[in-house]
Amino acid sequence: MNTGERPTLAKGLMLLPALIVLGLFFTSVILLFSNAFVDRGGFSLKYFEQILARPDYHVVFYRTVLTSIIVALLAVLLAYPISLLLWRSEKHRNMLLIVVLVPWLVSLVVRTYGWIILLGPKGFVNAFLGWVGVIDTPLKLMFNDTGIIIGLTHVLIPFAVISILASLLSIEENLEEASRVLGAGRWQTFRTIVFPLSLPGVFTSLMVIYLACIGAIVTPLLLGGITEKFVGSQIYQEVMATFNMSKAAAWSICLLSLSFVSLVLLKFIERRALRGQE
Amino acid sequence: MAKMTPLMKTIGIVLLLLLPAPIFIVFGASFNGTGYIQFPPESWSLRWYVDAFTDPRWGRAVLTSLWIAAVVATLITAISFLAAYFTLRYAPRISGWLELAIFSPLFFPHASMGVAAVALMAGMGIVGTPIAIILAHLMVTIPFSYRPIHVALKSVDPDLIRAAEVMGASELRALWDIILPICRSGILTSLLFTGIISFDEVTVTMFLIGPDITTLPVQIFTFIQDDASPVLAAISTLSVVITFLAILLLERVAGLSFFVQRQSS
Repeated sequence: MNTGERPTLAKGLMLLPALIVLGLFFTSVILLFSNAFVDRGGFSLKYFEQILARPDYHVVFYRTVLTSIIVALLAVLLAYPISLLLWRSEKHRNMLLIVVLVPWLVSLVVRTYGWIILLGPKGFVNAFLGWVGVIDTPLKLMFNDTGIIIGLTHVLIPFAVISILASLLSIEENLEEASRVLGAGRWQTFRTIVFPLSLPGVFTSLMVIYLACIGAIVTPLLLGGITEKFVGSQIYQEVMATFNMSKAAAWSICLLSLSFVSLVLLKFIERRALRGQE
Repeated sequence: MAKMTPLMKTIGIVLLLLLPAPIFIVFGASFNGTGYIQFPPESWSLRWYVDAFTDPRWGRAVLTSLWIAAVVATLITAISFLAAYFTLRYAPRISGWLELAIFSPLFFPHASMGVAAVALMAGMGIVGTPIAIILAHLMVTIPFSYRPIHVALKSVDPDLIRAAEVMGASELRALWDIILPICRSGILTSLLFTGIISFDEVTVTMFLIGPDITTLPVQIFTFIQDDASPVLAAISTLSVVITFLAILLLERVAGLSFFVQRQSS
């Protein structure tokens, strides 16, 4: 809608409120860095050394990265059939979309709380299995990696459904038809046409879910407990329990670098996977 | 369009139904008569709802979350509209840069964003005030507001604006009578979507609460850590109902197609 007019300074003021919001964001990032790298008025790597020196902290990093990779793959795998279902059911798509959107937008705490009710030692699953008589002692489904993986995967599937569905909906219908007319079977059409064209959605999901996972606090804290720490729960503890802002900032910067490195790596994989699809 | 095989269809339906399952569990637990979760449940009661409504802390948290969500949604939608309108109409060359800046918070892990937000708000001495929570929510929601509005504005034909102005309409009049009505669904999507995000935000907000203020999801989070009384199930159900109604409203007034469009902006 560019009408080719020159902007006046007064009209430029329309940009100001957005610039203030963005300015606040970038200031907060700068403060994050100054908190982490400055100690008693000078540059210091003290807080990073404190983190790197602790082998148990390394475990926290490994756990966070590994869990996030598992969750991202699992969420995409489980989301794919749902996206296909929504893609195929044109008539009821809106209604089915609400079934996906509601769990996506309902607060993280509420969904995690649902899993606590389900997975806890006196929770629904254990009570049910005990009642049926399959188990005598409650299964340990929570306060371990299983709980975190189940919770995070469930929380993030809706996003994957939506982004894969967006990719599927952008496929031209006659492509599929052409493939069928030319004699390709159902599976071959899916493998050679539908799936490759849905890959952008798959990669977006992997990226966003991975990012959401490594930065998660609430779900790991509530379902993982105090022993199975995540980078996010560690950060929460530094700020809220030990009031060590500098160390929390150092953790945050480690997390930021971790996500940056992973993003670059994933972009590289995506480019290779999508090569020749321009 | 080709049909799915019955097997794939069944798998899809089962997986789809698993998505809201934990929410239904919370819903069921809120009507449980006993103090702990039981299977099969022995008695039904509304006592947890009575508890939730008589405890003033919950009423306060719900109201706080609602008014903050309303303020955030209105402010960020206005902010995004002004910015998108200006860049698209007068300065398309900076459009790419602006988008890069606006979408950059999306690539920030939430935990890091929380710490950055505390650092900022503590620097301004406003941790524990509504202002801090509102400012943080503005930073969190700006990409989600800018996108639908930008897409809607982009679809406006510049000739319509020229026509309006040739016929003597002022810029404000053209905005009000031509551009705003065309962008209606983008604006409504922004309002409701950011309102829902603000209402349900926890990860950043929980760093910014204080003795005088807390939001509904953060208070639920605090209570889960202390003791998991079924009052939480009742109050969670209430929060689900509010989010659900907002989504239904969104579907009514603007449709849901925004969520599944691949943007070529």
